[in-house]
Amino acid sequence: MESATATARPAVSAAPSRIWSWLRRNGFKIYAGFALAYVLIPIGVIAVFSFADASQNRDHLAFAINNGFTLKYWEHAFAVPDLNDALLTSFRLAALATLISTVIGTMMALALVRHRFWGRRASNLLLVLPMATPEIVMGASLLSLFLIYGISLGFTSLLIAHIMFCISFVVVVVRSRLIGFDRSVEDAAADLGATPLETFRYVTLPLLRPGILAAALLAFALSVDDFIVSDFNKGTTETFPIYVFGAHLRGIPVQVNVLATMLFALTVTAICVVLWQQRRAERMASVRPEQEV
Amino acid sequence: MGDQKRSFRRRLIPYGLLAPGAIWLVVFFIVPMYFMGEMSLRTGVPNTPEGFTFNWEFANYSDALSGRGDQIVRTFFYAGTATIIALLIAYPLAYAIALKVNPRWRLPLLFAVIAPFFTTYLIRTIAWETILADDSPIVDLLKTLQIIPEDGRLLATSGAVIAGLTYNFLPFMILPIYASIERIDTSLIEAGKDLYASSRQAFLRVTLPLTMPGVVAGVLLTFIPASGDYVNAEFLGGANNAMIGNRIQSTYLEQSDYPKAAALSFLMMATVLALVFIYIRFAGTEAFVGSEEEAR
Amino acid sequence: MTSKRKFRALVAAGGALAIAVVLAACGGDDVGGGDTADVTVAEGGPPSGSVLISNWPGYVDPGADGTIAQFDEQTGVKTDYKEDVNDNVVFFNKLKPQLDQGSSGGRSLFVVTDWMAKRMYDLGYLQEINHADVPTVFENILPQFEKSTTDPERKFSIPWQGGQTGIFVDTTKAPEIDSVSDLFDPKYKGKVTMLTEMRDTLPLILQSEGIKPDEATKEDWLAAIDKVREARDSGQIRRFTGNEYTEDLTSGNIVAAIGWSGDSSLIGREGVEWRRPTDGCDLFFDQAVIPVGAPNTPAALAFLNFAYTPENAAKVTDYVQYVTPVNGVQEILKKDDPPVANDPKIFPTEAELAPCSEDPDPPGSPEDVAEVEEAFQEVVSG
Repeated sequence: MESATATARPAVSAAPSRIWSWLRRNGFKIYAGFALAYVLIPIGVIAVFSFADASQNRDHLAFAINNGFTLKYWEHAFAVPDLNDALLTSFRLAALATLISTVIGTMMALALVRHRFWGRRASNLLLVLPMATPEIVMGASLLSLFLIYGISLGFTSLLIAHIMFCISFVVVVVRSRLIGFDRSVEDAAADLGATPLETFRYVTLPLLRPGILAAALLAFALSVDDFIVSDFNKGTTETFPIYVFGAHLRGIPVQVNVLATMLFALTVTAICVVLWQQRRAERMASVRPEQEV
Repeated sequence: MGDQKRSFRRRLIPYGLLAPGAIWLVVFFIVPMYFMGEMSLRTGVPNTPEGFTFNWEFANYSDALSGRGDQIVRTFFYAGTATIIALLIAYPLAYAIALKVNPRWRLPLLFAVIAPFFTTYLIRTIAWETILADDSPIVDLLKTLQIIPEDGRLLATSGAVIAGLTYNFLPFMILPIYASIERIDTSLIEAGKDLYASSRQAFLRVTLPLTMPGVVAGVLLTFIPASGDYVNAEFLGGANNAMIGNRIQSTYLEQSDYPKAAALSFLMMATVLALVFIYIRFAGTEAFVGSEEEAR
Repeated sequence: MTSKRKFRALVAAGGALAIAVVLAACGGDDVGGGDTADVTVAEGGPPSGSVLISNWPGYVDPGADGTIAQFDEQTGVKTDYKEDVNDNVVFFNKLKPQLDQGSSGGRSLFVVTDWMAKRMYDLGYLQEINHADVPTVFENILPQFEKSTTDPERKFSIPWQGGQTGIFVDTTKAPEIDSVSDLFDPKYKGKVTMLTEMRDTLPLILQSEGIKPDEATKEDWLAAIDKVREARDSGQIRRFTGNEYTEDLTSGNIVAAIGWSGDSSLIGREGVEWRRPTDGCDLFFDQAVIPVGAPNTPAALAFLNFAYTPENAAKVTDYVQYVTPVNGVQEILKKDDPPVANDPKIFPTEAELAPCSEDPDPPGSPEDVAEVEEAFQEVVSG
């Protein structure tokens, strides 16, 4: 029970206790700042090395700044055609895989959390299994499957594989949002005459959006990042991680760092723009922001 | 009559929702797994024209395990430690973003934390390889501060591998926890405080239990792939830091001993699944499979 | 859960498995092996169309001026050149399911080390090459490469580039290292790396123990593996690498590494040089092969002819800095790039190469080889 009395404290200890209470109030924000810095360190390194002059090394990164800095790799950022192709392929793949797996996964999550049906526990098990499987096993076993059924290796086989491993993650994330979801809002909508479909579209889905977005983000990141499963099932198609791995063994072109930095900057910018738009919309609709705890 | 039809259709809904995903997983996961299983029971010598023939060779499983004990313990130690550290980092961070900052900064901050993970896994790990290199400024600083000995190193150690795992799987931990903290009805916390709970009690008795589903999801989403990872060990680890994933990869791709590789993979999957089930029992099945009251 | 639910869950699981079995039964059989019974000969003819070539990274001079571009210009072929061979066995294993089905994944030509070429040929994954289709090759091939231990009649492999496995030494930190035994000196604990490629690392170790790899028994190989294992456990060996040792050298993480002679240009640190160990040496030669199911083999063969003209070969060697199999290259480079022409790493004399091992296989039956490989992999990957 916190004491409500505030007896006068000696002025001497006023300053430290002020600092202390400032710390306590802003502790979380300071911590968030540190965490953010930690998360950004490798990005910083990547950005720095995108300026490193590596001409002594056949324009390949040596991760040592021997020759000083240069802007030339930024000027010729798209000079490595294989790299560009790989990056584009990765994005196309990730976009499609995210879309499809988010839809399928959200549907599954809804089914699993909100309905009791025969086969529910088996479905849960089915979901957990891909996440517990070493990627190399998934990759190799999928390859055998594709070959036996004559599915050509390339973008298609990659897409199938990516959707497969994304579904489980989407379900888990959406599910953790669905559990304990306050159904009374939906009941209210039904009471007001909305059909189940309308309730779903206008009440449930918007409320679910953060969870679905989080799941889609995760799926996208998983797909862009995937290396092992892709390596087995790519045929001659190259995704970005596969390109980097191959290049790493013999020297990464500096353009890789340049493009990675560009990508990061673009992502941040895009998000800022989206959020700024959202803020404008909010202001125009004069929605009151929720109170802080 | 119309009632019956509607109720029949209603009962079909879950199956309709479930079908695309379930079919996809069966065809593209279960079937290949069956092939794997069949392969794990074959015998033969690698790289010979005769190949491998099916022989109910359960010895592959005991062979795969023999001498692997150290590595298995090491793998789960690395993955477990990384998961715990990630949890310790992610929970306060998610809490801060969801509840402690101005709501207009929430999504930006969240994206700011996740955005670095849109650069490739490999590049991030390679960046850490640079940061932790023996003559990098950071290592020099730590040596000056006497935190590590003069002839010590950060790279090629188990610490580096764990640090890499933690860093790389952080978003898997943050996102589910954030999702579940964010949807807490804050009035519940306020109610707790109105009932004379201190901030700490409010947290332990109200917030934490309500966010358990997110924590469980985060822990699982981190621990499981971390156990099977081999990229971090390969880039950041030394000769003595190999994880089970490295062994599976080399049995598969270097030795071409597919039956043993398949057996080892299944063993690994089984162990992880067992750990997962134990954890779920401990954390409560409702957190994972959804409570029974959810369904109407 | 209730027993009724348990039962239902079991039935559901059984159902899924049954579907799996049925689907699996509709497919074919993955035997895991190949067949040398009917080996085909690669078709010759005038080159045209497009062709896909897989090679090791850094093994051809790049750019608009490079060999590939020039080849395309001269013949009208459109070459897709991919540098996706990073490790012999890994490449082999990834292609294997397709090779079993008689397809090469679209590749008309790829380059692997000689022992892997032989393994692939024995498993029936390669086509034979008609010497008449590659006249320039056999006109210009250096005499010492006309035959090889792995392919005595040059039926299926054409040498591309080769080199020596030796030691890289950071002369600013440990200039005195010059033998494989030095790598085991506790003075350099944790500052040494070795290769994951068994056929490069172990022959050097065998030689440093005074054993000739060609005469070594299986027990000798296993003993050498034990020695490596001890060094790993004690922390002497920092890690086992593919080409990544160049990074460790550049970052200053290590003072010495077992490595390949042509990689000097990939090391961005002053003072690191490649040395031939005083107690051993090992040669490797990478071979161009034509796989089964290769499309457009005429273009692939034309490429080989093109690469074997001395002017083109000289350009490749000048960039790649590995040993060339083509006659006349040294003369050309004496005029165009004397330092390269006089580099003993790139143009070693026959006498220098005589005592070197050639990436040998461990002795014995396939079971023995697999046993040795497994023991080595166990050390290298945990």
